[in-house]
Amino acid sequence: MSLFDGYDCGQFYDEMFQAPGIPRNHYSALYKRLNEFSDEEFRRRCRLADISLMNQGITFAVYGNEKGDEKPWPFDLIPRIIPASEWASIEKGLKQRLTALNLFLNDIYHDQKILKDGVVPYELILGASNYRREMIGAEPPGGVYVHICGSDLVRDGNGEYLVLEDNLRTPSGVSYVLENRLILMRLLPQLFKSLAVRPVDHYTTQLLNNLRALAPINRQDDPVVVLMTPGVHNSAYFEHSFLAQQLGIELVEGRDLFVDDNLVYMKTTRGPKRVDVIYRRLDDDFLDPLVFRKTSLLGTPGLVNACRAGNVSLANYIGTGVADDKATYAYVPQIIRYYLKEDPILKNVETYIGNNPSDLSYMLDNLDKLVVKATDASGGYGMLMGPQSTKVEQMEFAQKLKANPRNYIAQPLIALSRAPSLVDDHFEGRHIDLRPYILCGSDGITIIPGGLTRVALVKDSYVVNSSQGGGSKDTWVLADDLAEEERRHA
Amino acid sequence: MRLRLVHTTRYKYNKYAIDSQNEVRLMPISDRDQSCLDYRLTIEPSTRIFSYDLPGGRVHHFSLLSPHNFLFLKSEAVVITTRSNPFADLQLDVKDVSFYEDAAKMAPYFDYLAPSQHVPLDPETDRIAHLARKQSGEGTASFLLALTRLLHKVMSYEPGSTRVDTPLRDVLENRRGVCQDFAHLMIAICRRQGIPARYMSGYLYTGSHLKAEDSANTPWKSDESAQLPTEQLIGGDAMHAWVECLLPDGVWRGFDPTNNLMADSHYIKVHHGRDYADVVPIRGVYRGIGEHVMEIAVRVISEPSE
Repeated sequence: MSLFDGYDCGQFYDEMFQAPGIPRNHYSALYKRLNEFSDEEFRRRCRLADISLMNQGITFAVYGNEKGDEKPWPFDLIPRIIPASEWASIEKGLKQRLTALNLFLNDIYHDQKILKDGVVPYELILGASNYRREMIGAEPPGGVYVHICGSDLVRDGNGEYLVLEDNLRTPSGVSYVLENRLILMRLLPQLFKSLAVRPVDHYTTQLLNNLRALAPINRQDDPVVVLMTPGVHNSAYFEHSFLAQQLGIELVEGRDLFVDDNLVYMKTTRGPKRVDVIYRRLDDDFLDPLVFRKTSLLGTPGLVNACRAGNVSLANYIGTGVADDKATYAYVPQIIRYYLKEDPILKNVETYIGNNPSDLSYMLDNLDKLVVKATDASGGYGMLMGPQSTKVEQMEFAQKLKANPRNYIAQPLIALSRAPSLVDDHFEGRHIDLRPYILCGSDGITIIPGGLTRVALVKDSYVVNSSQGGGSKDTWVLADDLAEEERRHA
Repeated sequence: MRLRLVHTTRYKYNKYAIDSQNEVRLMPISDRDQSCLDYRLTIEPSTRIFSYDLPGGRVHHFSLLSPHNFLFLKSEAVVITTRSNPFADLQLDVKDVSFYEDAAKMAPYFDYLAPSQHVPLDPETDRIAHLARKQSGEGTASFLLALTRLLHKVMSYEPGSTRVDTPLRDVLENRRGVCQDFAHLMIAICRRQGIPARYMSGYLYTGSHLKAEDSANTPWKSDESAQLPTEQLIGGDAMHAWVECLLPDGVWRGFDPTNNLMADSHYIKVHHGRDYADVVPIRGVYRGIGEHVMEIAVRVISEPSE
């Protein structure tokens, strides 16, 4: 009796199996180990994981959930495994993408060459709600706008990796990557060692080094770095406090900071302390009521001008949201070719843009087949899953589309790859995606191997967002033995 | 002309204000129509002033954290203005609508064609545009002059009749407002017609308008029959607002529907943007108890050229 009895790969690309009962090479050790577990033993380990998560207070909040603020983070014990060669190509593709996106941001806030050359339409950028005219001409350190990026990858029916979206504002989830790893190392220690899984725990060190390097030149010796949170009601507050603690920096809210003579200070029990770098986890809109949303009480008045003057560095910089607008996303392949003179390594999902009249009419005619998304929304909010929607929902969305076409894009439903998840007493295939965390520092771009694998825990669901009933898996990138040897002897 | 400008603003707080952060958009720009020779911004209580440039003009900013019961700002400038005849090179009877129909040419002016915070593109405005078309020649400049004249005629200037946040629809229905409302309305009409239009804040020198000996200055009056006596020109005792439109020669030209004038060397440009929200002269946040009152004084005088 095996936990895999009756496992059905369905019509999808299965991460673990190349054919029913035949695991892919990089999964064979895991498959063997899981088969050794009795149903009872495996569930005992699952309970241990749950207890461990609850004890550590790893939770997240769901907006619009009236039952209470926090839910435990749903964790799926079976790791997702990525072989070395596959990861090498993903890594290359992500580096290429973020390099181009940073060049793009620098361009549209300065010379706007890409707009003048007609590669990206003016109206797309100037009409984006997250284009910040207040930052035109501002100079972020090293010309870098995005220091922390979380790009969402999916695999289609052929197993090809596609970029579904980029998160260039305040991507979250990395704390779960670190926590998931700690739990799995405890639950499957032997397997972990025998497979040579690449570590992820250097993420915080790399992030801290990058943040410190952003300090103004005359403050490089011992820069003060803080993490700025919107507060306890934010869905990612757990992560904010977790990262602040891991990084060994203060967790602050807007009201803990003030600006005097264009310098930013933190209020402390021992008086004001100058702040050099802010890892901010709140959106532009809420940063500074003097410049952006006037009614926001979450930010710090004067912060934007202090940042513009280079007296404090914000990560990410202000105005990055225009590049992860879902309509801009459709142009990333062109953006890569324009700045790097290279073909994109990672492909986009085919995208229809509401702003484009012929695309719009296709969208309206095919709402039952498409996934429609609001261009400035994230987290799975404000979208229509065409194939799983009712006629009434489609009609409602058609009205929204016609009223504000610029605000919507559509994509064909990708038959996301599946991986085994424990359901009651056996394994079933569930759809997954992958969010790697990409750091851009003064010494280049670094990506911790893997990232967050999100799982749509609801049967047949394609929506992996934690806010919509998703869970997560630990992601194992296997070391390339040859490359490891070479590195050791370099 | 050589114009000297002094603009003072005094806020008095009922009790006191603290933690005050402010942005100021008061410095005249330098462009093909004017040069700002000398500029000084003074703040009391005294504090350090910082500045940077945006495409619309310069931004100064400062903070005042300690309790204070007043805030005084003095903005002084000397500006040389050179557009003595705004009618020069104006094509009134050349059919030029194709310029505005060329999507590729218009694309960079998205900001000045799209609706903005204070300027929704209301189809109701087409009525006014239609009437102005009937009263004008083939050229866009001619249309804009007719529009300036028409707005001046049908709208009544009534200080206090609107607030900063009065919707354009109310202005349109009640046909009254202040220079800001005249400007927003004209911008809405122009954008609906596909003509890039932007909001200009600044000052109007009213001292020597329509002086008999200054005959070179008469052609800019777009409606000769409606000339106003000097003392009736609006905008001399406060900041003023008007509209700049892009003409097919690639030059932005100023139209002032409040006064039925084209902007000439009597106008000092300070900051431009999509609408008022982009050019707010003094914007601040502070914490405090009770109300504040504000007093403004603007003086623009003409000086002999050196």
